[in-house]
Amino acid sequence: MTSDPGGPVAAEPGLVAVGLSRAFGDEVAVQDVDLEVGPGQVHALVGLNGAGKTTLMRLLLGMLRPDSGTARILGRTLTDHDPSLWRGVGHMIEMPFNYPELTARENVRVSARLHGMSRQDAGPAVEAVVDRLAFRRWADRRTATLSLGNRQRVGLACAMVHRPRLLVLDEPTNALDPSGVVLVRDLLTELAEQEGTAVLVSSHHLDEVARVAHRISVLHRGRVVGTLDPDGIDLERQFFRLVHGVDERLGLIGADGGGAS
Amino acid sequence: MNAALEVEWLKLRRSRTVAVATVVLVLGIPALVAGFMRAAVASPQSQLGVKVHAMVSGTGWAAYLGLAEQICAVALFLGVGIVVAWCFGREFTDHTLVSLYALPVSRGTVAAAKAAVVTAWAAVVSLAVLAVLLLAGPAAGVGLPDGDAARAAPKAFAVALLTAVLALTLALPASLGRGYLPAIGGLLLVVLLTQILVTLGIGAWVPYAAPALWSQTTLPVDVGPVQLALIPVTAVAVLWATLRWWQTVEVT
Repeated sequence: MTSDPGGPVAAEPGLVAVGLSRAFGDEVAVQDVDLEVGPGQVHALVGLNGAGKTTLMRLLLGMLRPDSGTARILGRTLTDHDPSLWRGVGHMIEMPFNYPELTARENVRVSARLHGMSRQDAGPAVEAVVDRLAFRRWADRRTATLSLGNRQRVGLACAMVHRPRLLVLDEPTNALDPSGVVLVRDLLTELAEQEGTAVLVSSHHLDEVARVAHRISVLHRGRVVGTLDPDGIDLERQFFRLVHGVDERLGLIGADGGGAS
Repeated sequence: MNAALEVEWLKLRRSRTVAVATVVLVLGIPALVAGFMRAAVASPQSQLGVKVHAMVSGTGWAAYLGLAEQICAVALFLGVGIVVAWCFGREFTDHTLVSLYALPVSRGTVAAAKAAVVTAWAAVVSLAVLAVLLLAGPAAGVGLPDGDAARAAPKAFAVALLTAVLALTLALPASLGRGYLPAIGGLLLVVLLTQILVTLGIGAWVPYAAPALWSQTTLPVDVGPVQLALIPVTAVAVLWATLRWWQTVEVT
């Protein structure tokens, strides 16, 4: 990625989080996180398992209430309690949108209707996204009979059928075959560049996000501990330097990367 | 609300659980009632005949539909209860609840749509049970429907519908317990507690016992309009609590 359409954006940001925190009992899952995703920007969250990526996304989408901090989605705060806010948002968090008794096409149509599309508009939109994600061949099969990767494609179609202005995807390439990974990468780039969609995406795969993201934030132990340059070299080394730096400061590992004694 | 109703109706139509429950209730209840009645009419001195006679009063269609009311009061609670458990609990068990967040249709609206489509389905099933009961009359030995049948049928339908409405309250344990099994547990608990309270002599004031007691004309229990009115009041109160819970619940 070379140009960042985000940065100090003139248009209203897709998503702004300020000081978001959430704990589960004594376990702090997300702590004082600031984040912004501008229109047309792909912002990647990377981190180890349990870093807080999914919890952060859940907080941003109103699935969890923060202990402190605020989030604004498409210019409106989550505490507005106005459901119409979500017309412009698509998401896939952990589980793809899949009712196993429905066909792939029916699932996408259900998502379109629940996202506020009229019956008339939903039909063509469903067909378009079925073609874009290349599953017309099995669109009329019940999703219970599909492979995990194909259910993931259906879930992605459900997240974007209503052409959201903000898309939040938690590890969207999980279980996808290489062609599916390329498809998702192209799709995210296309949505951001051509439709100005703000995209927040999490992943474990640094190479993958480097190809598509304008910004990469590193989340570790619930905090944003730094950023990575998508055009930088040896991202893996930079990532572990950030992560180990935090652990060293916390006294969890020695300076040599070994465990604390 | 229209989108939520459309979606919930589609899910209900496609559900194997609902299809099986429909067939079992619509064919099973009339088959059971007709079989019992046939046994009572054909061999009143048999063990089954004696037991059936103890459950019914009158003869012919009044007895036949009276017996149907009693069986409906149990079978429909179980059958509709299982569908309610599936309808609400599946969003947790199948991990589909997360898809119902960040939508312009609120989760409270989705839950209300679930209650509405299950109620509509239960009303259609109750009507279908009654229709099959009427068709099965000759096979049960009570002949073709007559004036007694016309007089008894509305009450039989009312018992069926009130029972179905009560089963909707199982949406609350399905939601609080986040799955099918807590609702099934709730169903068993309701049946057990109801039996105990009926034994203690206060069954008429227990909404879950009222339809069955209302249908039992052989028992010295008076279930009046006030006790019957408690049934929809209970259902509405529990559903309101369920919708509130859906509106505010966090994912786990």
